[in-house]
Amino acid sequence: MHRIYLHPLPVRIWHWINAATCVMLLLTGVQLRYVGLINVVSFRTAVTIHNYLGFILIANFFLWLGYYLCSPRIRSYHTELNPRKFFDGALSQTLYYTYGIFKRAPEPFHPSVYNKFNPLQAMTYQVIMFMVLPIQIITGLLLWHLVGFSRIVALLGGVRVIDTVHVLIFIFFVFFIPAHFYLGTLGRRPITHFKEMFTGYEEEPVEKDHANAPE
Amino acid sequence: MARTESGARSERRALIGRMARAALTKGAGAIGAAVIAVLLMLAGTASAATPSPADQNCLICHGTPGLEKPLTDGETLSLHIEGDHFADSVHAPLGCTGCHSGVNLASHPPANNPIVDRRAFSIAMVQVCQTCHADKFEQWGKSVHAALVKDGNPNAPICTNCHSPHTMIKGAAASVATVPCKTCHSVIFTAYTTSVHGVLRNGGLAAAPLCFDCHGAHDVAVPSAGVGRRDVCLGCHTEAMASHLTWLPNVQLHFDVVSCPVCHTPNAQRVVNLILYNNSTQKEVSQPEGIPRFELKNGTPTGLPGLDPTTLMTLLTALNGQGIKGETNVRGRLDVRTGVEDHQLTFATKAISDCDTCHRQGATAFQSVEVSVAGPAGIPIHYGADKDVLSSVFSIDSVGGFYAIGGSRVTFFDVLLFLALLGGFAWPIAHLIVRWVVGRYLDLTIPHEPR
Repeated sequence: MHRIYLHPLPVRIWHWINAATCVMLLLTGVQLRYVGLINVVSFRTAVTIHNYLGFILIANFFLWLGYYLCSPRIRSYHTELNPRKFFDGALSQTLYYTYGIFKRAPEPFHPSVYNKFNPLQAMTYQVIMFMVLPIQIITGLLLWHLVGFSRIVALLGGVRVIDTVHVLIFIFFVFFIPAHFYLGTLGRRPITHFKEMFTGYEEEPVEKDHANAPE
Repeated sequence: MARTESGARSERRALIGRMARAALTKGAGAIGAAVIAVLLMLAGTASAATPSPADQNCLICHGTPGLEKPLTDGETLSLHIEGDHFADSVHAPLGCTGCHSGVNLASHPPANNPIVDRRAFSIAMVQVCQTCHADKFEQWGKSVHAALVKDGNPNAPICTNCHSPHTMIKGAAASVATVPCKTCHSVIFTAYTTSVHGVLRNGGLAAAPLCFDCHGAHDVAVPSAGVGRRDVCLGCHTEAMASHLTWLPNVQLHFDVVSCPVCHTPNAQRVVNLILYNNSTQKEVSQPEGIPRFELKNGTPTGLPGLDPTTLMTLLTALNGQGIKGETNVRGRLDVRTGVEDHQLTFATKAISDCDTCHRQGATAFQSVEVSVAGPAGIPIHYGADKDVLSSVFSIDSVGGFYAIGGSRVTFFDVLLFLALLGGFAWPIAHLIVRWVVGRYLDLTIPHEPR
């Protein structure tokens, strides 16, 4: 086995704060939306918690952005511009999850310091971190202070349009987070990837013919 | 209402001054003003309780009870004046001819001067009021009452409906017992008397508002227009914004969208008022013409099955015309249903402060919906709308300007959320089960070559 330092400390801190705030935001969001059906905390308390968590998420997002903008590790988030290479990689990863994993085939992708995401992960995280999450942050801020941002809100079609976008992304995360958790259990052992997100190190088997040999 | 003699004298002096100024303003010239002033001063020397000799001449006939004139429309016009009351009135210094200056022996009695009807005569006569009360007359001219008069409403008040010119006493319109508004708005006034304002006013608190403190005495505006009502409340309750900040999230938004009585009249029936608004003119849209839905429902009361989500969407498209996006849109407000409920304000301690009252599915506040447009004189006309316009996916754009978390959520997204939750957990569980079954019962493992 060979250890790769895949997740530096700032990334691990960001990840776990992000995970906790996302889950709490989803839960308080459900409470806000379904008062009467769910009554864990009052509407007012849910609003307060949701607002504070939103700002923590925003600050945390900038921690992530700041770190990666200053680090060569941002290459992990670079888009694969070669469509053929991207398609081949994505197909091979999809085949692994839908078939290969059942017969314990080896993982087709092997991470490295500057290329830590498999093609499906890379695509998903690029969309989430550069589009979905910023949109959710912006719509959240607009909803937080509708009067202050009234001109922008009107320009974008009104509060209901803003809320619709916010809720659709919320629904996306409701789907994404359980799936993300499950995919995290698909390491050599169910806790392998979770452990890596605490230690920062990933253990990779040493093979001679790796297409993505670790650096 | 008792008055001291010195008080009466000072009022007379003030009135004389106003008359002189009004005459000057109207270009009567300094000589004319001086003549009027002298006449008024002479009139002013008369006793407060006794009509002047000149007026007594008029009262020879007009002091006779039952004196009346038949009108062209078959009605009669009372010509009887209580001399003593007139002598006590603020207009006594003017004398009869102060207002009835056109009367002369040649034309009076005007047997050959028929009066068509009482209303037309009154409207013609009140023009004389502006001689002295130009400022008030101008304010009235901009009021909803004046707009209704111009619109031909026979019940809309003119000066003499509120201020009886022959018995007018200073301050008569400013007490709970005699405020003239209750003549027409009796039901609302009854509601007011039971409200916190009415109770406090009746209890002797002069600072508690009477009708005109909120609505204006002469420049009466459409009370339900936009945030006007909130601004009226904040005129006295200057601390309200700060006190709400201590517990209410998004205070400014609530103040903009939720009418004060919605919370401060706890038992009122609430209604979502979707106002058709033109962004270019920054005004409410007037009664749309050529929209069948509106023509059919013109004048029908709210509460009937009304605009459904798709019809509202079509309506806005029609109002905006082709290629124009968002010029006409919907601005939502939460109001109480009736003017009576608007006036049943309670003590602050009994006001609604529980967010769940509105921010929950099925909240009563969102069970009644109406679409309103500006009618004659700016008075809104309300059309019933289906409550689904608040929760339909077709309303995301058309009702873009109104949304309350929980209370008016789009139900289609509830289905999407359920599917996302199901999918988010179902496929990992299914995948896990397949992995377990295959691993346990089917040996698909690829044999690895020894390293």
